[in-house]
Amino acid sequence: MDRLRKPEACLALGVIALGLLALYETTQIPVSPMYAQVGPTAVAYLASALLIGLGALLLVQSVSGRWVSDPEESATEFDLRGLGWLLLGLVLNVGLIDPLGFIPASLLLFACTARAFGSRRPVRDVLIGLALSAIAYFGFAELLGINIGAGLLGIGE
Amino acid sequence: METLDLLANGFAVALQPMNLLWALVGVTLGTAIGVLPGLGPALTIALLLPITFSVPPTAAFILFAGIYYGAMYGGSTTSILLNTPGESATIVTALEGNKMAKKGRAASALATAAIGSFVAGTIGTLGLTFVAPPLVEFALKFGPADYFSLMVVAFVAVSAVLGSSTLRGLTALSFGILLGLVGIDLQTGQARFTFGLPELLDGINVIVVAVGLFAVGETLYLAARPKTGASVIKLQGRAWMTKEDWQRSWKPWLRGSFLGFPFGALPAGGAEVPTFVSYFLEKKLSKKPEEFGHGAIEGVAGPEAANNASAAGVLVPMLALGLPTSATAAIMLSAFQSYGINPGPLLLQNQPELVWGLIASLYVGNVMLLVLNLPLAGLWAKILTIPAPWLYSGILVFATIGTYGISQSWIDLVLLYLIGGVGYLMRRFDFPTAPAVIGMILGPFAEQEFRRAMTISAGDMTTFVTRPLSLTLLIIAVLLLVVPLLLRLRTRKAR
Amino acid sequence: MLNRRSFLQTTACAGTMAALLPGYARNAHAAIDQVQFFVPANPGGGWDQTARSMEQAMKSANLIKGAQVTNVGGAGGAVGLPQFVNQWKGRGNALMVAGMVMVGALITNKSPVKVTQTVPIARLTGEFEVIVVPNESPFKTLKDLMAAFKADPAKVSWAGGSAGGTDHILAGMLAKAAGGEAKKVSYVAYSGGGPALAALLGNQVSCGVSGWGEFSEQVKAGKLRALAISADKRQPGLDVPTIKEAGFDVELYNWRGVFAPPGIKDADKKALIELVTRMRDSAPWQEQLKTREWTDVFLAGDAYGKYLEAEITRIEGILKDLGLA
Repeated sequence: MDRLRKPEACLALGVIALGLLALYETTQIPVSPMYAQVGPTAVAYLASALLIGLGALLLVQSVSGRWVSDPEESATEFDLRGLGWLLLGLVLNVGLIDPLGFIPASLLLFACTARAFGSRRPVRDVLIGLALSAIAYFGFAELLGINIGAGLLGIGE
Repeated sequence: METLDLLANGFAVALQPMNLLWALVGVTLGTAIGVLPGLGPALTIALLLPITFSVPPTAAFILFAGIYYGAMYGGSTTSILLNTPGESATIVTALEGNKMAKKGRAASALATAAIGSFVAGTIGTLGLTFVAPPLVEFALKFGPADYFSLMVVAFVAVSAVLGSSTLRGLTALSFGILLGLVGIDLQTGQARFTFGLPELLDGINVIVVAVGLFAVGETLYLAARPKTGASVIKLQGRAWMTKEDWQRSWKPWLRGSFLGFPFGALPAGGAEVPTFVSYFLEKKLSKKPEEFGHGAIEGVAGPEAANNASAAGVLVPMLALGLPTSATAAIMLSAFQSYGINPGPLLLQNQPELVWGLIASLYVGNVMLLVLNLPLAGLWAKILTIPAPWLYSGILVFATIGTYGISQSWIDLVLLYLIGGVGYLMRRFDFPTAPAVIGMILGPFAEQEFRRAMTISAGDMTTFVTRPLSLTLLIIAVLLLVVPLLLRLRTRKAR
Repeated sequence: MLNRRSFLQTTACAGTMAALLPGYARNAHAAIDQVQFFVPANPGGGWDQTARSMEQAMKSANLIKGAQVTNVGGAGGAVGLPQFVNQWKGRGNALMVAGMVMVGALITNKSPVKVTQTVPIARLTGEFEVIVVPNESPFKTLKDLMAAFKADPAKVSWAGGSAGGTDHILAGMLAKAAGGEAKKVSYVAYSGGGPALAALLGNQVSCGVSGWGEFSEQVKAGKLRALAISADKRQPGLDVPTIKEAGFDVELYNWRGVFAPPGIKDADKKALIELVTRMRDSAPWQEQLKTREWTDVFLAGDAYGKYLEAEITRIEGILKDLGLA
């Protein structure tokens, strides 16, 4: 067990980096000369310091091999294609919901996610996605009056 | 007894056919809204405010109260089934509830949540009926210093969700506290961690974080793993609670109710904190604490009861004093104003028919929700037999609706997915996600109260130990930390 | 609600329904048929209520056929304003509801978009503020309170809304008028009227500042004592002195008004001013003012524009004194 665990060490460094970023941002918060006993930066410094300190401890654990986690986790393969399809779906959704509206953006997200989870019948997925987003849209936006983005191809804007 | 007479008059109002119909519409609408992550009763009632121009006040308030109670039920359904909490008060329900669902025990989890909500809602409404004035009197004694000490107790309760590694648990907690700081600081008006984005000035919505860490993170995690054929969950047993489930549920229901109601009545209490405390309490009291984290039914029963009882508690300061202590209560008060009714300490005297009709409709709404939800529990549970590709696609679409619906801003969607990425990393490296969400709720709460206390005491730290309430709470916090340690030490010595 | 209505409109306009809609042709000569309200706050708040009351009044008075309300909330209007200025540019039937709170929020958030980029149409309502103390408080008059403040500012804690908001601004103005320093005010910010009220009723703070509507019921019920109001003159049926009567030269209204987007035609501006003026004179609007206890501070067109500029300078000055600008 006395070996360096690389991904864990990277993560620990990531936590430290987040703490440092927070620390830098905290120094940028303007402290008004106002009569406040405890200013806006006190807890921000505390949170930054906690992240840096805990990140350092995590780093020590990962280097000394004392990081105990699920052994099968590191052994399982990484399904890059699955993750790729899912990320594509998320990017399409964010990019299209404003210009095209809720239904097209959602049905693409649906189809890509189904693909990521191993579905091999895209046409059927798109149809189910269309049905689901149409029901959701008409149920929530039209009947309940919640604005969840424009409908099919932006009508209603 | 005078109260009983007034309540009987209230029932005479609430049981009129038209008002029953309004209550039914309200609880159904509330349940529908509650399942959407991020869209809560406050926004729904706000959108329905124009209705006050066209229906009588009693009907409008019965509708609003139905939405309010219904949202609490709806929120727990999605927490259990999809791991996407619909309301911030049902985040804790997802912890054990979703684990139960994964084991095929969704129907039992939904049933204990529904019955627990009914029990708690009824106990809470009884409290609202009979002890509201003295309770408010007591609640007003809480100053900022006392609230801060109360938060210290709540932070101790976080220990129940830290998971296998304290170090990783605390890292998650600190991350949550950091997220909670984003936005304009209430006390000084300065922007913190907003990176120049106006969308971040009002802070990050806790539901976006909970859904991102829980649901989106899990979806990413599963998508990145090799697919091993059909991974459909098999439903176990009958769609109902077993005898053991009943035995393990009834005490948490009662404890959760008696915890949640007074918490809700505190002007700055809120509905989230009692659910954490209830979870902690049930884990400590359980005969099978090792089941926690793997689907312990007490971990659903207690917090669910606590959140519904606190929903009734929130109405105590509103109806007794006209104090709007939650977003929903504030919107309901503005509805009073559009009728030209001035909600205040005299509301009860000036509008007895309205107030007692409202209270009676809460009893009615509770029964309706139980009748609606119990038969549905078995049906809802079947959602989990949907094949994984469509189930997870559906969850993502669903999370999108809620998030986009809050602000119609794609920036919130990016935030949801980024936090989902963090959730993925946390799962991959075995970090618990619950402390992050709890830290995000408790962090700002504790910070603001601490700074208020400091401003009032002119920087004197002893204010936390010289105020009797605050001192008592701090002692409780210390005992909660120390006693389990001492007990463990003693059992070790005995061996 | 927003979407259904707009969806129906689109369908109606596109389809054959248009001819069947009563009054669709009849009112074709009226300058503005449909009003699009832009509310830079979430549903339920003061601006939202103003927009919805306006919609109601305009419809009941037969001034318009329909209206649509869009909410873009956040940071006292600082999130919504850029959208109104950029994306709503040139819409001749659009009205944004905002007010003094936005002026302050834009200054404290150092927003690059200014409210002066819009076209001021009219100031509509105002709400004066009140300074209250708990019943048990030793302070009987505003003079007592300010004397204690001058003796030791740290001993007098003020409860009110968020830092830099209307309540904080009034506290700062009072401190200055009393000869003290604005930034010495021990201000305890609460996120809403409810929690601040709870702190006052529980005697946790020395005094509280907020809109009259937030505290009025507690004052009438004898649970809080009102020391002074920020109105320009005594209010009928209200036995509370103005701040000026109490000896300090301070007057403040939390006003709300409407603005048109930049780039509209002069004819549109004229039509909007006329529409809002007619609404203000209508019986339904006067009734709304009464039920909601809003003070009528109507001021239209260029006079309103001038007032706005003076108000920005005044608020910027006091926020500087508070150390927030």
